[in-house]
Amino acid sequence: MLNNKNIYKPIRAKLTDIIDESSFIKTFVLIPEEEFSFKTGQFIELSVDGIGEAPFTPSSSPLVTEQLEVTVMKTGYVTEYMHMMKPGEYMGIRGPYGRGYPVEKFFGKEVLILGGGCGLAPIRSLLYALEAVKDKLVKVILCYGSKTPADCIYKPLFDRLNRTDKFETYRTVDKADEGWDGSVGVATSLLNKIRINIRNAIAVVCGPPIMMKFGTIRLLEMGYPEHDIYLSMEKNMSCGLGKCGHCMMGEFFVCKDGPVFTYSELKSTPDIWK
Amino acid sequence: MSYYSIRKEEWDKILEQLILSYTVFATVSNEFGQDYELLKPADIPHILYNKPKPTTSLKSFFLPVKENVTSARDQEKPRIIMGIPNCDIEGLNLLDEIYLDKDYIDVFFKDRRDQTILISSDCFSTQEHCHCQSYDIKPYSTRTADLSVVQMNGSIIFRSINGKGEEFIKKIAGAVPVNDNSIITGIDKKHKETEALLIESNKDLPDYETTGRLISFANENIWKKYSSDCVSCGACTTICPTCTCFLLIDKPGFAKVKQMDACQYPGFERVAGGEDALHELPQRFRNRYMCKYLWKPRKYKSLACTGCGRCIEACIGKINKNELFRELAK
Repeated sequence: MLNNKNIYKPIRAKLTDIIDESSFIKTFVLIPEEEFSFKTGQFIELSVDGIGEAPFTPSSSPLVTEQLEVTVMKTGYVTEYMHMMKPGEYMGIRGPYGRGYPVEKFFGKEVLILGGGCGLAPIRSLLYALEAVKDKLVKVILCYGSKTPADCIYKPLFDRLNRTDKFETYRTVDKADEGWDGSVGVATSLLNKIRINIRNAIAVVCGPPIMMKFGTIRLLEMGYPEHDIYLSMEKNMSCGLGKCGHCMMGEFFVCKDGPVFTYSELKSTPDIWK
Repeated sequence: MSYYSIRKEEWDKILEQLILSYTVFATVSNEFGQDYELLKPADIPHILYNKPKPTTSLKSFFLPVKENVTSARDQEKPRIIMGIPNCDIEGLNLLDEIYLDKDYIDVFFKDRRDQTILISSDCFSTQEHCHCQSYDIKPYSTRTADLSVVQMNGSIIFRSINGKGEEFIKKIAGAVPVNDNSIITGIDKKHKETEALLIESNKDLPDYETTGRLISFANENIWKKYSSDCVSCGACTTICPTCTCFLLIDKPGFAKVKQMDACQYPGFERVAGGEDALHELPQRFRNRYMCKYLWKPRKYKSLACTGCGRCIEACIGKINKNELFRELAK
């Protein structure tokens, strides 16, 4: 049946709730009208009827299939329309697309997650997936940096993870405010605070390109093997099918060959941080 | 591979009949030059045989400039496309790899492929910018097309390339198997003559692999120099038989319109936040060659440039990629 499916046609999903995460970030809770599931790290094309669509990695648990959550930062034309939507309206979903995180490969290991900015949305989904298999993991360390304390979304998530066996979280901000008594500095600086057995660890990096670049450099300096650094790449993923060419990064279509790559897969591809 | 022959006058009458049950396109010569045209009875005497490529490529028969890809397609008559040069046939191989990729089959493309009989035309001469042979592509088809056609001594000679072509030609009244070996050797001789012409006119042009290597090492100055006359019009990508990038445009009712796009247009890689890896013109210009000669060959079996030379002919800035490659090869 797959062969007769129209690969361009979205399914409709009812917007049941909108959660304000910050002044320019909202989480949309959606109930798809057809069966829908995804693997953590995969992305979807989410559309506003008649306006446009954009790629997002769901921020909800991949184990929950009756609804999904997508966290959207207001950054451009389509996301501005998304932020004007109201519960009860319908959005379009295509996907899920691409290769997500190979969670089974993390079994028996320490997992370091280095995130920045809006990169926390896909990371939240990964954290849910890792929580479900925590018995098979040694430990999970989340190092996350945001511009200001107010820009850090999902604050209850950090409290909950800190109370969860095998999970540790570290936060930093580029610019502190009066109520902040934690670290100040870029996300990478948190790597000096953690204890991790690199010989039995993998790292996941997700965030703005500049953070991913310097994060990866730092992880390599720490001794991480190239094939144990997982990068969640972001390009102009448009069709999601490995056809339209907009997300081409060297020989890879980020939408189909990624969006999750190991650094060893990408290291000879030029301009990956652009 | 079998040869069939039919007298030209008989074939012309058959075409009149075929027009009734098929939508027939053929390479025709008219006041605008030579191009694929929807065949009408009056055009039949003007069909070109043995000639090199039509002005435009085969691509748009399978990838229209713009189409709604969320509504059902109307049932259309099966099609015959006749007079396709091998550069276009080989270009179709890459389109097949992309659009018939088993993970995500484009049903619109597949439907058109299934409904089309491809009759390629052997080139018995060349045009100024033809350079298929430099990339090991012959000026005649041996795969992907269903049939190949030449005109010789007042007859139309078909060479069946696959079962679909064999089945088609066997149903054509008056088409008989060629028993005269001199016709086949005559065609072979013509093939070799065309190949020799292509080799002679492109003797200093690097081959595909070498071109890829040269491009990968080319410095910024060469891209600045050759892109200085580029106006980002996208004529090169539009006319290219293998450039297939597209844009999905949203319409009310969650409809999607698929429109051909090109990495040569500003904003092709721009993301919502404004970052654009191909913002600068020399970067966009370089991207097209990196894609064709380095990245696509690593990903697909088929070549992403088949040496048709149309991008050189279409460029209003008179940019000649082969001059660029020759300069790199010096």
